[in-house]
Amino acid sequence: MTIIHHHPDISTLMSYAAGSLSDSMSLVISCHLEHCSDCRQRRASAESLGSSLVEECSPVSMSTGARDDILQMLNIQPHQSSAAPIPKPPKHGEVPSALQRLLGHAEFDQLEWKTLAPGMKQVALPSAEGKLKLLKIAPGTCLPSHGHSGTELTLVLKGSYTDECGRFQAGDLEDLDPDTKHQPVADTHEACICLIATDAPLKFEGLVPRLLQPFFGL
Amino acid sequence: MSDALIKTDNTKFEPGTGQSPGQSSAQMASNLVDLARYRSRSQFLVIYDFFAPRLKSYLIMRGAESSLAEELVQEAMLSVWRRCDSFDPEKATASTWIFTIARNLWIDHLRKFKPDRLSSLDCYEDISEPVETEFTDSHKLKQLIKNLPCQQAQLIHQVYFSGKTHREIADEMAIPLGSVKSGLRLAFEKLRKQLGGNQ
Ligand SMILES: [Zn+2]
Repeated sequence: MTIIHHHPDISTLMSYAAGSLSDSMSLVISCHLEHCSDCRQRRASAESLGSSLVEECSPVSMSTGARDDILQMLNIQPHQSSAAPIPKPPKHGEVPSALQRLLGHAEFDQLEWKTLAPGMKQVALPSAEGKLKLLKIAPGTCLPSHGHSGTELTLVLKGSYTDECGRFQAGDLEDLDPDTKHQPVADTHEACICLIATDAPLKFEGLVPRLLQPFFGL
Repeated sequence: MSDALIKTDNTKFEPGTGQSPGQSSAQMASNLVDLARYRSRSQFLVIYDFFAPRLKSYLIMRGAESSLAEELVQEAMLSVWRRCDSFDPEKATASTWIFTIARNLWIDHLRKFKPDRLSSLDCYEDISEPVETEFTDSHKLKQLIKNLPCQQAQLIHQVYFSGKTHREIADEMAIPLGSVKSGLRLAFEKLRKQLGGNQ
Protein backbone atom coordinates (compact mmCIF):
# COMPACT_ATOMS: atom_id res chain seq x y z
CA MET A 1 0.00 0.00 0.00
CA THR A 2 1.44 3.33 -0.99
CA ILE A 3 1.53 6.13 1.53
CA ILE A 4 -0.84 8.97 0.74
CA HIS A 5 0.62 12.45 0.93
CA HIS A 6 -2.17 14.65 -0.36
CA HIS A 7 -5.66 14.78 1.10
CA PRO A 8 -8.87 16.74 0.63
CA ASP A 9 -9.16 19.88 2.73
CA ILE A 10 -11.25 19.45 5.89
CA SER A 11 -13.67 22.06 4.51
CA THR A 12 -14.27 19.71 1.56
CA LEU A 13 -14.78 16.73 3.86
CA MET A 14 -17.22 18.75 5.97
CA SER A 15 -19.30 19.48 2.91
CA TYR A 16 -19.06 15.85 1.88
CA ALA A 17 -20.20 14.69 5.32
CA ALA A 18 -23.00 17.25 5.28
CA GLY A 19 -24.23 16.07 1.88
CA SER A 20 -23.44 19.48 0.41
CA LEU A 21 -20.96 18.54 -2.31
CA SER A 22 -21.88 17.91 -5.91
CA ASP A 23 -22.38 14.23 -6.71
CA SER A 24 -19.32 14.32 -8.97
CA MET A 25 -17.06 15.63 -6.21
CA SER A 26 -18.59 13.26 -3.65
CA LEU A 27 -17.65 10.33 -5.84
CA VAL A 28 -14.04 11.47 -6.07
CA ILE A 29 -13.91 11.79 -2.27
CA SER A 30 -15.42 8.34 -1.90
CA CYS A 31 -12.70 6.86 -4.13
CA HIS A 32 -10.01 8.57 -2.04
CA LEU A 33 -11.54 7.26 1.19
CA GLU A 34 -11.13 3.71 -0.06
CA HIS A 35 -7.39 4.22 0.21
CA CYS A 36 -7.08 6.65 3.09
CA SER A 37 -7.91 5.72 6.65
CA ASP A 38 -6.87 9.19 7.89
CA CYS A 39 -9.58 10.75 5.81
CA ARG A 40 -12.09 8.08 6.81
CA GLN A 41 -11.47 9.24 10.39
CA ARG A 42 -11.84 12.89 9.43
CA ARG A 43 -15.00 12.09 7.52
CA ALA A 44 -16.41 10.31 10.58
CA SER A 45 -15.60 13.36 12.72
CA ALA A 46 -17.32 15.64 10.26
CA GLU A 47 -20.34 13.34 10.26
CA SER A 48 -20.43 13.29 14.04
CA LEU A 49 -20.35 17.09 13.99
CA GLY A 50 -23.36 17.00 11.70
CA SER A 51 -25.25 14.57 13.87
CA SER A 52 -24.59 16.63 17.00
CA LEU A 53 -25.91 19.69 15.22
CA VAL A 54 -29.05 17.74 14.34
CA GLU A 55 -29.42 16.58 17.95
CA GLU A 56 -29.43 20.22 18.97
CA CYS A 57 -32.10 21.20 16.43
CA SER A 58 -35.28 22.34 18.11
CA PRO A 59 -37.52 19.30 17.67
CA VAL A 60 -40.53 19.74 15.38
CA SER A 61 -43.42 17.52 16.43
CA MET A 62 -44.53 14.82 14.06
CA SER A 63 -48.19 14.98 13.15
CA THR A 64 -50.69 12.93 15.09
CA GLY A 65 -50.89 9.50 13.67
CA ALA A 66 -47.28 9.40 12.48
CA ARG A 67 -46.39 7.13 15.35
CA ASP A 68 -49.22 4.71 14.57
CA ASP A 69 -48.33 4.84 10.89
CA ILE A 70 -44.75 3.87 11.50
CA LEU A 71 -45.82 0.95 13.68
CA GLN A 72 -47.98 -0.23 10.78
CA MET A 73 -45.07 0.13 8.40
CA LEU A 74 -42.87 -2.07 10.57
CA ASN A 75 -45.03 -5.00 9.49
CA ILE A 76 -44.39 -4.50 5.81
CA GLN A 77 -41.71 -6.66 4.29
CA PRO A 78 -39.09 -4.50 2.62
CA HIS A 79 -38.77 -4.36 -1.13
CA GLN A 80 -35.44 -5.56 -2.29
CA SER A 81 -34.49 -2.05 -3.35
CA SER A 82 -35.27 -0.16 -0.18
CA ALA A 83 -33.47 -2.57 2.10
CA ALA A 84 -29.80 -2.80 2.88
CA PRO A 85 -27.29 -1.28 0.49
CA ILE A 86 -26.14 -3.65 -2.18
CA PRO A 87 -22.74 -4.93 -1.20
CA LYS A 88 -20.05 -3.63 -3.50
CA PRO A 89 -18.32 -6.19 -5.68
CA PRO A 90 -14.94 -7.18 -4.32
CA LYS A 91 -12.19 -4.91 -5.47
CA HIS A 92 -10.25 -6.17 -8.42
CA GLY A 93 -7.95 -4.51 -10.90
CA GLU A 94 -7.15 -0.83 -10.69
CA VAL A 95 -10.61 0.71 -10.60
CA PRO A 96 -11.83 1.90 -7.17
CA SER A 97 -15.00 0.08 -6.08
CA ALA A 98 -16.98 3.30 -5.98
CA LEU A 99 -16.23 3.79 -9.67
CA GLN A 100 -16.83 0.25 -10.91
CA ARG A 101 -20.55 0.54 -11.51
CA LEU A 102 -20.08 3.78 -13.40
CA LEU A 103 -17.51 2.19 -15.71
CA GLY A 104 -19.71 -0.84 -16.33
CA HIS A 105 -17.11 -2.94 -14.49
CA ALA A 106 -14.58 -2.33 -17.25
CA GLU A 107 -10.88 -1.85 -16.62
CA PHE A 108 -9.17 1.37 -17.69
CA ASP A 109 -7.76 -0.09 -20.90
CA GLN A 110 -11.21 -1.31 -21.96
CA LEU A 111 -12.69 2.19 -21.95
CA GLU A 112 -13.24 4.36 -25.00
CA TRP A 113 -10.72 7.11 -24.50
CA LYS A 114 -11.25 10.25 -26.57
CA THR A 115 -8.22 12.26 -27.59
CA LEU A 116 -8.32 15.87 -26.39
CA ALA A 117 -4.87 16.96 -27.41
CA PRO A 118 -1.59 15.19 -28.08
CA GLY A 119 -0.82 12.99 -25.10
CA MET A 120 -4.16 13.68 -23.44
CA LYS A 121 -7.26 11.50 -23.51
CA GLN A 122 -10.46 11.55 -21.53
CA VAL A 123 -13.59 9.60 -20.72
CA ALA A 124 -16.51 11.80 -19.68
CA LEU A 125 -18.58 10.21 -16.94
CA PRO A 126 -22.20 10.87 -16.09
CA SER A 127 -23.05 12.99 -13.06
CA ALA A 128 -25.83 15.40 -12.25
CA GLU A 129 -23.86 18.17 -10.61
CA GLY A 130 -20.52 19.46 -11.77
CA LYS A 131 -18.40 17.59 -14.27
CA LEU A 132 -16.77 14.23 -13.80
CA LYS A 133 -14.20 12.57 -16.00
CA LEU A 134 -11.20 10.37 -16.29
CA LEU A 135 -8.12 11.96 -17.78
CA LYS A 136 -5.15 10.03 -19.12
CA ILE A 137 -1.91 11.93 -19.51
CA ALA A 138 0.85 10.29 -21.56
CA PRO A 139 4.33 10.14 -19.99
CA GLY A 140 6.09 13.48 -20.16
CA THR A 141 2.99 15.33 -21.31
CA CYS A 142 2.47 18.72 -19.78
CA LEU A 143 -1.06 20.09 -19.37
CA PRO A 144 -1.66 23.76 -20.21
CA SER A 145 -1.32 25.99 -17.18
CA HIS A 146 -4.75 26.79 -15.86
CA GLY A 147 -6.56 28.26 -12.90
CA HIS A 148 -10.00 27.47 -11.59
CA SER A 149 -12.90 29.72 -10.89
CA GLY A 150 -14.42 27.09 -8.65
CA THR A 151 -13.21 23.99 -6.95
CA GLU A 152 -11.57 21.03 -8.60
CA LEU A 153 -10.72 17.68 -7.08
CA THR A 154 -8.17 15.49 -8.80
CA LEU A 155 -7.53 11.95 -7.61
CA VAL A 156 -4.65 9.98 -9.07
CA LEU A 157 -5.70 6.43 -9.86
CA LYS A 158 -2.61 5.27 -11.71
CA GLY A 159 0.85 6.66 -12.40
CA SER A 160 1.76 10.07 -11.07
CA TYR A 161 2.08 13.74 -11.95
CA THR A 162 3.91 16.73 -10.60
CA ASP A 163 2.74 20.31 -10.47
CA GLU A 164 3.49 23.47 -8.50
CA CYS A 165 1.95 21.91 -5.38
CA GLY A 166 4.00 18.73 -5.36
CA ARG A 167 4.08 15.19 -6.63
CA PHE A 168 0.83 13.25 -6.79
CA GLN A 169 0.78 9.45 -6.86
CA ALA A 170 -1.95 6.82 -6.85
CA GLY A 171 -4.37 7.58 -4.00
CA ASP A 172 -3.29 11.20 -3.66
CA LEU A 173 -5.98 13.81 -4.00
CA GLU A 174 -5.33 17.40 -5.03
CA ASP A 175 -7.93 19.73 -3.57
CA LEU A 176 -6.88 22.82 -5.43
CA ASP A 177 -7.32 26.22 -3.85
CA PRO A 178 -9.55 28.28 -6.08
CA ASP A 179 -6.91 30.86 -6.87
CA THR A 180 -3.98 28.54 -7.51
CA LYS A 181 -2.82 28.01 -11.05
CA HIS A 182 -1.22 24.71 -11.85
CA GLN A 183 0.45 22.91 -14.71
CA PRO A 184 0.56 19.16 -14.16
CA VAL A 185 3.05 16.97 -15.97
CA ALA A 186 2.98 13.18 -16.06
CA ASP A 187 6.35 12.45 -14.53
CA THR A 188 7.10 8.76 -15.07
CA HIS A 189 7.31 6.33 -17.97
CA GLU A 190 3.75 5.30 -17.18
CA ALA A 191 0.61 7.15 -18.28
CA CYS A 192 -1.12 8.96 -15.44
CA ILE A 193 -4.84 8.33 -14.98
CA CYS A 194 -6.80 10.78 -12.86
CA LEU A 195 -10.39 11.12 -11.80
CA ILE A 196 -11.38 14.77 -11.89
CA ALA A 197 -14.48 16.53 -10.65
CA THR A 198 -15.11 20.20 -11.18
CA ASP A 199 -17.69 22.53 -9.83
CA ALA A 200 -17.30 25.38 -12.28
CA PRO A 201 -15.70 26.01 -15.67
CA LEU A 202 -11.91 26.15 -15.70
CA LYS A 203 -10.17 29.29 -16.86
CA PHE A 204 -7.24 28.65 -19.15
CA GLU A 205 -4.54 31.18 -19.86
CA GLY A 206 -3.05 32.02 -23.22
CA LEU A 207 -4.42 31.75 -26.71
CA VAL A 208 -3.86 28.13 -27.63
CA PRO A 209 -5.14 26.70 -24.36
CA ARG A 210 -8.17 28.96 -24.65
CA LEU A 211 -8.90 27.37 -27.99
CA LEU A 212 -8.57 23.99 -26.37
CA GLN A 213 -11.05 24.81 -23.66
CA PRO A 214 -14.16 23.61 -25.49
CA PHE A 215 -12.51 20.24 -26.08
CA PHE A 216 -11.78 19.76 -22.43
CA GLY A 217 -15.34 20.11 -21.40
CA LEU A 218 -13.68 21.16 -18.19
CA MET B 1 -42.94 -11.24 23.22
CA SER B 2 -39.51 -9.83 23.87
CA ASP B 3 -40.93 -6.41 24.75
CA ALA B 4 -41.37 -7.63 28.27
CA LEU B 5 -37.63 -7.93 28.61
CA ILE B 6 -37.02 -4.31 27.94
CA LYS B 7 -37.01 -1.95 30.84
CA THR B 8 -38.34 1.34 29.67
CA ASP B 9 -39.86 4.10 31.68
CA ASN B 10 -42.11 6.06 29.41
CA THR B 11 -44.48 7.30 32.04
CA LYS B 12 -43.52 10.96 31.92
CA PHE B 13 -43.00 10.84 28.23
CA GLU B 14 -44.75 12.81 25.55
CA PRO B 15 -44.68 10.80 22.36
CA GLY B 16 -43.50 12.41 19.17
CA THR B 17 -42.52 15.77 20.60
CA GLY B 18 -38.87 14.97 21.06
CA GLN B 19 -39.15 16.11 24.70
CA SER B 20 -37.87 12.83 25.96
CA PRO B 21 -35.88 12.38 29.10
CA GLY B 22 -32.22 12.96 28.26
CA GLN B 23 -30.89 10.07 26.26
CA SER B 24 -27.19 9.69 26.55
CA SER B 25 -25.26 8.75 23.48
CA ALA B 26 -24.29 5.43 25.07
CA GLN B 27 -27.91 4.64 25.93
CA MET B 28 -29.03 5.28 22.39
CA ALA B 29 -26.30 3.03 21.03
CA SER B 30 -27.32 0.20 23.32
CA ASN B 31 -30.95 0.80 22.38
CA LEU B 32 -30.05 0.23 18.75
CA VAL B 33 -28.05 -2.88 19.52
CA ASP B 34 -30.94 -4.26 21.55
CA LEU B 35 -33.35 -3.37 18.81
CA ALA B 36 -31.45 -5.57 16.40
CA ARG B 37 -31.39 -8.37 18.95
CA TYR B 38 -34.93 -8.29 20.35
CA ARG B 39 -36.91 -6.53 17.60
CA SER B 40 -38.91 -4.78 20.27
CA ARG B 41 -41.45 -2.21 19.14
CA SER B 42 -41.43 -0.32 22.41
CA GLN B 43 -37.68 -0.02 22.12
CA PHE B 44 -38.08 1.21 18.57
CA LEU B 45 -40.49 3.88 19.78
CA VAL B 46 -37.97 5.18 22.30
CA ILE B 47 -35.56 5.74 19.43
CA TYR B 48 -38.31 7.08 17.19
CA ASP B 49 -39.59 9.57 19.75
CA PHE B 50 -36.15 11.01 20.25
CA PHE B 51 -34.99 11.18 16.65
CA ALA B 52 -38.08 11.68 14.48
CA PRO B 53 -38.83 15.27 15.62
CA ARG B 54 -35.15 16.19 15.31
CA LEU B 55 -34.80 14.71 11.85
CA LYS B 56 -37.96 16.51 10.84
CA SER B 57 -36.47 19.77 12.04
CA TYR B 58 -33.24 19.02 10.17
CA LEU B 59 -35.03 18.21 6.90
CA ILE B 60 -37.16 21.34 7.13
CA MET B 61 -33.99 23.39 7.56
CA ARG B 62 -32.56 21.69 4.50
CA GLY B 63 -35.56 22.91 2.57
CA ALA B 64 -38.15 20.15 2.78
CA GLU B 65 -41.81 21.07 3.18
CA SER B 66 -43.28 19.80 6.39
CA SER B 67 -45.13 16.91 4.76
CA LEU B 68 -42.12 15.84 2.71
CA ALA B 69 -39.91 16.10 5.78
CA GLU B 70 -42.27 13.83 7.63
CA GLU B 71 -42.39 11.34 4.79
CA LEU B 72 -38.59 11.17 4.72
CA VAL B 73 -38.42 10.86 8.49
CA GLN B 74 -40.72 7.85 8.33
CA GLU B 75 -38.56 6.36 5.62
CA ALA B 76 -35.41 6.98 7.63
CA MET B 77 -36.89 5.46 10.77
CA LEU B 78 -38.08 2.47 8.80
CA SER B 79 -34.48 2.01 7.64
CA VAL B 80 -33.40 2.16 11.27
CA TRP B 81 -35.80 -0.68 12.04
CA ARG B 82 -34.73 -2.75 9.07
CA ARG B 83 -31.01 -2.12 9.12
CA CYS B 84 -30.18 -1.81 12.80
CA ASP B 85 -28.34 -5.13 12.64
CA SER B 86 -25.70 -3.33 10.57
CA PHE B 87 -25.22 -0.69 13.26
CA ASP B 88 -21.88 -1.12 14.99
CA PRO B 89 -21.43 0.92 18.18
CA GLU B 90 -17.66 0.58 17.80
CA LYS B 91 -17.79 2.53 14.56
CA ALA B 92 -20.37 5.24 15.05
CA THR B 93 -22.73 6.73 17.57
CA ALA B 94 -26.41 5.99 17.15
CA SER B 95 -26.97 9.62 16.34
CA THR B 96 -24.32 9.69 13.60
CA TRP B 97 -25.58 6.46 12.08
CA ILE B 98 -29.13 7.79 11.91
CA PHE B 99 -27.96 11.18 10.65
CA THR B 100 -26.20 9.58 7.67
CA ILE B 101 -29.36 7.64 6.79
CA ALA B 102 -31.41 10.85 6.77
CA ARG B 103 -28.72 12.76 4.87
CA ASN B 104 -28.56 10.09 2.17
CA LEU B 105 -32.33 10.01 1.81
CA TRP B 106 -32.37 13.78 1.43
CA ILE B 107 -29.66 13.99 -1.22
CA ASP B 108 -31.22 11.12 -3.14
CA HIS B 109 -34.52 12.97 -3.00
CA LEU B 110 -32.90 16.16 -4.34
CA ARG B 111 -31.34 14.29 -7.23
CA LYS B 112 -34.35 12.14 -7.96
CA PHE B 113 -35.27 13.89 -11.17
CA LYS B 114 -31.83 14.86 -12.37
CA PRO B 115 -30.41 12.99 -15.32
CA ASP B 116 -27.19 11.01 -14.80
CA ARG B 117 -27.35 11.40 -11.07
CA LEU B 118 -25.06 9.40 -8.82
CA SER B 119 -26.86 7.91 -5.86
CA SER B 120 -25.77 8.10 -2.25
CA LEU B 121 -24.74 4.47 -2.62
CA ASP B 122 -22.22 5.52 -5.26
CA CYS B 123 -20.91 8.41 -3.22
CA TYR B 124 -21.03 7.20 0.37
CA GLU B 125 -19.53 3.83 0.84
CA ASP B 126 -20.14 2.24 4.17
CA ILE B 127 -16.52 2.13 5.12
CA SER B 128 -16.62 3.62 8.56
CA GLU B 129 -14.12 2.34 11.05
CA PRO B 130 -13.48 2.81 14.74
CA VAL B 131 -13.29 6.51 15.23
CA GLU B 132 -12.53 9.08 17.81
CA THR B 133 -16.03 10.46 18.02
CA GLU B 134 -15.11 13.97 18.79
CA PHE B 135 -18.43 15.70 18.63
CA THR B 136 -20.62 13.50 20.78
CA ASP B 137 -21.34 16.12 23.43
CA SER B 138 -23.93 18.04 21.50
CA HIS B 139 -24.83 20.41 24.33
CA LYS B 140 -21.25 21.50 24.71
CA LEU B 141 -20.89 21.77 20.95
CA LYS B 142 -23.85 24.12 20.80
CA GLN B 143 -22.21 26.39 23.36
CA LEU B 144 -18.90 26.31 21.52
CA ILE B 145 -20.54 27.23 18.24
CA LYS B 146 -22.13 30.21 19.95
CA ASN B 147 -18.66 31.32 20.96
CA LEU B 148 -17.23 31.08 17.46
CA PRO B 149 -16.75 34.24 15.43
CA CYS B 150 -20.09 34.94 13.83
CA GLN B 151 -18.89 34.26 10.31
CA GLN B 152 -17.45 30.85 11.17
CA ALA B 153 -20.66 29.80 12.89
CA GLN B 154 -22.58 30.92 9.82
CA LEU B 155 -20.32 28.88 7.59
CA ILE B 156 -20.94 25.72 9.62
CA HIS B 157 -24.64 26.36 9.44
CA GLN B 158 -24.51 26.95 5.69
CA VAL B 159 -22.63 23.72 5.04
CA TYR B 160 -24.70 21.44 7.25
CA PHE B 161 -28.15 22.96 6.87
CA SER B 162 -28.41 25.03 3.71
CA GLY B 163 -26.77 22.40 1.53
CA LYS B 164 -24.91 25.00 -0.50
CA THR B 165 -21.56 24.45 -2.18
CA HIS B 166 -18.58 26.53 -1.13
CA ARG B 167 -18.97 28.66 -4.24
CA GLU B 168 -22.63 29.34 -3.52
CA ILE B 169 -21.85 30.20 0.08
CA ALA B 170 -19.09 32.59 -1.05
CA ASP B 171 -21.47 34.33 -3.43
CA GLU B 172 -24.23 34.58 -0.88
CA MET B 173 -22.03 35.87 1.93
CA ALA B 174 -20.06 38.07 -0.49
CA ILE B 175 -16.69 36.72 0.64
CA PRO B 176 -13.94 35.06 -1.42
CA LEU B 177 -14.15 31.31 -1.96
CA GLY B 178 -10.83 30.92 -0.17
CA SER B 179 -12.30 32.54 2.94
CA VAL B 180 -15.14 30.03 2.98
CA LYS B 181 -12.65 27.19 3.02
CA SER B 182 -10.30 28.74 5.58
CA GLY B 183 -13.20 29.79 7.83
CA LEU B 184 -14.55 26.23 7.88
CA ARG B 185 -11.08 24.88 8.49
CA LEU B 186 -10.51 27.18 11.47
CA ALA B 187 -13.93 26.49 12.94
CA PHE B 188 -13.49 22.73 12.68
CA GLU B 189 -10.06 22.79 14.31
CA LYS B 190 -11.23 25.03 17.09
CA LEU B 191 -14.26 22.87 17.88
CA ARG B 192 -12.19 19.71 17.70
CA LYS B 193 -9.62 21.05 20.13
CA GLN B 194 -12.16 22.49 22.55
CA LEU B 195 -14.19 19.31 22.68
CA GLY B 196 -11.06 17.60 23.87
CA GLY B 197 -10.55 15.06 21.12
CA ASN B 198 -10.68 11.41 21.89
CA GLN B 199 -13.37 10.53 24.42
ZN1 LIG C 1 -6.82 11.26 2.73
